[in-house]
Amino acid sequence: MTESTHQSKQFDEELSGLRTHVLEMGGLVESQIRSAIDVYVTSETAIVKDIVENDHRVNAYEKIIDDETVHVVARRQPTASDLRLVMGITKIVTDLERIGDEAKKIAKGARRVYEHGQLTLPRVTEIRHVADEAVLMLRRGLDAFARLDVQLASEVIHADAKVDTEFKALVRQLITYMMEDPRTISTAIDIVWICRSIERIGDHAKNIAEHVIYIAEGRDVRHTKETSA
Amino acid sequence: MPPAIVSPALTQTLALSLLGAIPALVLGILVGPAWGWALMALVVFLQLLNALRYFARLERWSRNPQPTAELEGAGAWDEVFSRLYRHEKELRSAIATRDADLAMVESAGQAIVDGIVTLDIDNRISWCNKVAEKQLGLDLRSDRGQPIANLVREPAFVAYLTGGNYRLPLRLSAPHNPELMLSIHLLPYAGGFRLMQARDVTQSERLDRMRRDFVANVSHELRTPLTILGGFLETVRELELTPAEHERYLGLMADQSDRMLRIVQDLLMLSALESAPKPGNDRVRMVALLEKLKADAVALSAGKHEITLDADSVDILGAESELASAFGNLISNAVRYTPAGGRIDISWKRCGTSAEYAVTDDGIGIAPEHIPRLTERFYRADNGRSRESGGTGLGLAIVKHALTRHQATLDIASRPGNGSRFSALFPPARLVD
Repeated sequence: MTESTHQSKQFDEELSGLRTHVLEMGGLVESQIRSAIDVYVTSETAIVKDIVENDHRVNAYEKIIDDETVHVVARRQPTASDLRLVMGITKIVTDLERIGDEAKKIAKGARRVYEHGQLTLPRVTEIRHVADEAVLMLRRGLDAFARLDVQLASEVIHADAKVDTEFKALVRQLITYMMEDPRTISTAIDIVWICRSIERIGDHAKNIAEHVIYIAEGRDVRHTKETSA
Repeated sequence: MPPAIVSPALTQTLALSLLGAIPALVLGILVGPAWGWALMALVVFLQLLNALRYFARLERWSRNPQPTAELEGAGAWDEVFSRLYRHEKELRSAIATRDADLAMVESAGQAIVDGIVTLDIDNRISWCNKVAEKQLGLDLRSDRGQPIANLVREPAFVAYLTGGNYRLPLRLSAPHNPELMLSIHLLPYAGGFRLMQARDVTQSERLDRMRRDFVANVSHELRTPLTILGGFLETVRELELTPAEHERYLGLMADQSDRMLRIVQDLLMLSALESAPKPGNDRVRMVALLEKLKADAVALSAGKHEITLDADSVDILGAESELASAFGNLISNAVRYTPAGGRIDISWKRCGTSAEYAVTDDGIGIAPEHIPRLTERFYRADNGRSRESGGTGLGLAIVKHALTRHQATLDIASRPGNGSRFSALFPPARLVD
């Protein structure tokens, strides 16, 4: 962890508190995705309510952290690496909030799948696999943020391609089911949406990793092929 | 004795300097005051020069105080130098002792099988052992000083950490490995500091679940035939039945009581295996035993399967009844789960210095998620089919137990639709040619 020394110890504490809040929010979002995937895998639709409930907490975190960053900027006028940290945090928080929304969508989508009654097509268990991959990306992205680890961040960025490939494979598989038996179409579409959400989570995790590189090195690696540290 | 304010060495030096004043005084009286002052000045100058020399030596040494570097002086200087030198030496050895003590404490912390993390007042990581690094995905080299909640972000953990109620431990699945169950306990010490203990409870959690499942399963398995039996009893007692019906019901009742008997027998067998002393070292004639088991299998199959046997002449040292039950169980499983027309191969082969018993079939196979749990008591991959074919749900548990008692390992390889292979590898110590 790189800690610059400031004249004001309180400023350090404010920045450190800000990071901790972001990571707390990240932990919450991570557990939201896990629960949402559990709904799909175990068909326990009772916890969907909790997930929706918790999403309010995610949104509350976003507001609190935004408030805190505005305060820091207004009171301390941070410069150089501090400024990058504060700016990076506002962006990371936006991505985290979107991931929270995707988790909620997955949970609701899974509930719809089971509300249609018996699953009329083979349970697509590969979803669990892709979801694990996406959750791993997010967790490693947050670890990279906690440690400002550029190497780890660039690994996360590379991992996104894998999630994208698996997403495409899943969609192809679902299309075959739909062609074989049109009665499965509505359920299959629900599942496609779930896959889509997972793929989006991967994208947001990648964004977070890019923000980490920006915070640590001041390099903007968005929309570029160059990602190696 | 209280230490003198002025040390003897210093008084001596002072006296020597005064001694220098005497010739100056004499010269001043004899030759003239100017000469006397000149000599006085010379004496003072020489003394100053001497002092400067030692000061320079001290200054050089103080830049990098090494007990190895020389620090010697004369007179009062020497005393001060040697005291400084001694102090430096003692300081160094004290630090070395502390370091060694600290290293001992640290290696004691590493020796603990639980994960240990020490946290400061702000819940920042100050130290952790290797177990904790592995359990929680930490790296002490980069994470020292990092708030623990930044890296272990599970909401349940954050709530526990900030909640302040540490009387009960927290159950948490490890952040990067959901299979690993941890029991986390925070222990406050030395004011605001905290020691975090993370114990791996995966195994005990699993055992707990198995025990609960076991009781529930035994009750369930015995209740079903009892209910059926009770139903028939009522029917026989209350309805007018033709002799043929009577006969049929009695037959069905006998089936159910047989089934209960089988379950109880298997349970007794299991508990006997668990509590019996180590199996003996009797020579078990494998070829003869397997021939007999094959004959049993052929009888059970009633010509529906093709059954082959390929046995090397290696014998096992152990308990024949246990081995016969284990091997027979694997064969009868294969017969029961392989559709008519299937093929079952029994083999007993040398395998390097070990030997392997294997039963291979081309039957219905087993889905991968069931394989790790097959040897649990009453675990059934397919409820209906297993009971239909007369299984008690305890067969593989008995097999596993009997094999383990002979230091053999059970390996199950299977793909749904492609048949299964159950194999047991016996160690060289159990074999005899």
